[in-house]
Amino acid sequence: MRFVALVRGDIRFQFKYGFYLLYGIFVLMYIAILQLLPEEWKGYVAVLMVFSDPTMLGLFFMGAILQFEKEEHTLHSIIVSPVKVQEYVLAKLCSLAVISTLVALLLAKVGGILDHPMRFGLAIVFGSCLFTSLGLVLATKAHTLNQFLLYTAPCELLITVPAGFYLFGNSAPIFLMHPGCSLIELCMSGDHVLFASLSLLLWTLLFVWLAIRETRTYFSTLGGAKA
Amino acid sequence: MITVDNLNFSYTRKPFIESMNFAVKPGEIFGFLGPSGAGKSTVQKILTGLIPTYKGSVVVNQTEAKKRNSDFYEHVGVDFEVPSLFEKLTGRENLRYFASLYRHSLPIEPLLESVGLANEADKKVMDYSKGMKSRLNFIKALLHAPSLLFLDEPTSGLDPSNARVMKDLILQQRKSGTTIVLTTHNMYDATELCDRVAFIVDGTLCALDTPRNLIMSRGAATITYSYRENAQECQGTSVLAETANDSCLQRVLQENRLLSIHSSEPTLNDIFSELTGRKLQ
Repeated sequence: MRFVALVRGDIRFQFKYGFYLLYGIFVLMYIAILQLLPEEWKGYVAVLMVFSDPTMLGLFFMGAILQFEKEEHTLHSIIVSPVKVQEYVLAKLCSLAVISTLVALLLAKVGGILDHPMRFGLAIVFGSCLFTSLGLVLATKAHTLNQFLLYTAPCELLITVPAGFYLFGNSAPIFLMHPGCSLIELCMSGDHVLFASLSLLLWTLLFVWLAIRETRTYFSTLGGAKA
Repeated sequence: MITVDNLNFSYTRKPFIESMNFAVKPGEIFGFLGPSGAGKSTVQKILTGLIPTYKGSVVVNQTEAKKRNSDFYEHVGVDFEVPSLFEKLTGRENLRYFASLYRHSLPIEPLLESVGLANEADKKVMDYSKGMKSRLNFIKALLHAPSLLFLDEPTSGLDPSNARVMKDLILQQRKSGTTIVLTTHNMYDATELCDRVAFIVDGTLCALDTPRNLIMSRGAATITYSYRENAQECQGTSVLAETANDSCLQRVLQENRLLSIHSSEPTLNDIFSELTGRKLQ
């Protein structure tokens, strides 16, 4: 019950702090762009949009969310409540995965790439959890929003460059060991779905574990003492 | 309720909290009194489990503070000095959210009414005054009816009327049996609220007793009087316990020449200065 309350609380927080409004505007813009594109481009652009935006939304939103929680000192109230670190982290991942998946499904539908909605949706859920976990790890290290954005830049390059190369260039199966490439493979319903699923799952589990570990360390410093 | 034995802690290599020992009994209001930077809030953070890297033993509700688990906080409430609320949510939404994190919680409406916020509950917290935020923050700490309540500078920055409201709320909690540990640098709050007070300076406990015992043990109460003498006003001072030996006072009393008489006791501030050589504010 507490976990459900946390997820609901996080969704309400994101709604009240304008994250949904901001994101709604972006989605409408993306749909308009997709409608204007010629049919043969739509699929590729839709995959690119899904990959670079709803899936990676958590990477950017986590910085802002944690910054708000730091500024309003609500983290202090959380750490003196019965909430466990893993509940806190998983609630953040779930709340952001909800909006990511809904938007990705919508864009995929408009882009005509929604052949396997269940598989596509699961891929987005895992991808979203992976990138949100990465965002949370970086957010715990950053003292300001600017510092957070600085930290995300190299991570974005490491994620998007191989994925872009895989989408438009060399799609050799070895690239599927990269989480971005495996996500593209799943979105495109490629020939190596099983391997891509396994790769994405392992990367996601690794990053969720890292996010819980780093958040626990971060929480232990909120009292002012070094971890 | 709380037993602290040989507590030592340091933020850096230099010792900060040194060899601290004390116990808090169930149902009492226990206050840490000391100037800013003395270590009051640090001790409270250790007691609430926010700082686990201490040495010694700190047992709170039968649990060693550094080994607390999430159940520990089902019975402990913490009201931080700075409000910790979601500014863009309403007062009611904040309370509902934090209440949902506990196994058991009190109804929200009576709590809002008890602090005079029932009519403002649907306003966003960002539109609240400082006093309103403090009151909301206080009842947030009471949502799960904790048996042990920690308050960090509960009246800090409040105007006299809001400080009065806050102090009445704290006294109400004691009446209902809650054990309260508070930090303050305000001697009047400590005198009025606390059953026992611990003086903290530079991370060490300098004294620990009831406010009355601290006052009475260190300084005798005195009286100051004025009287008429050859058409002029004169003044005299006498220790309260020795007024019978003050021949001047006896004489002016018998001759009806007394103009005024006042008694005075040393304050906690005087005792604090005498014991520690430091000022509270």
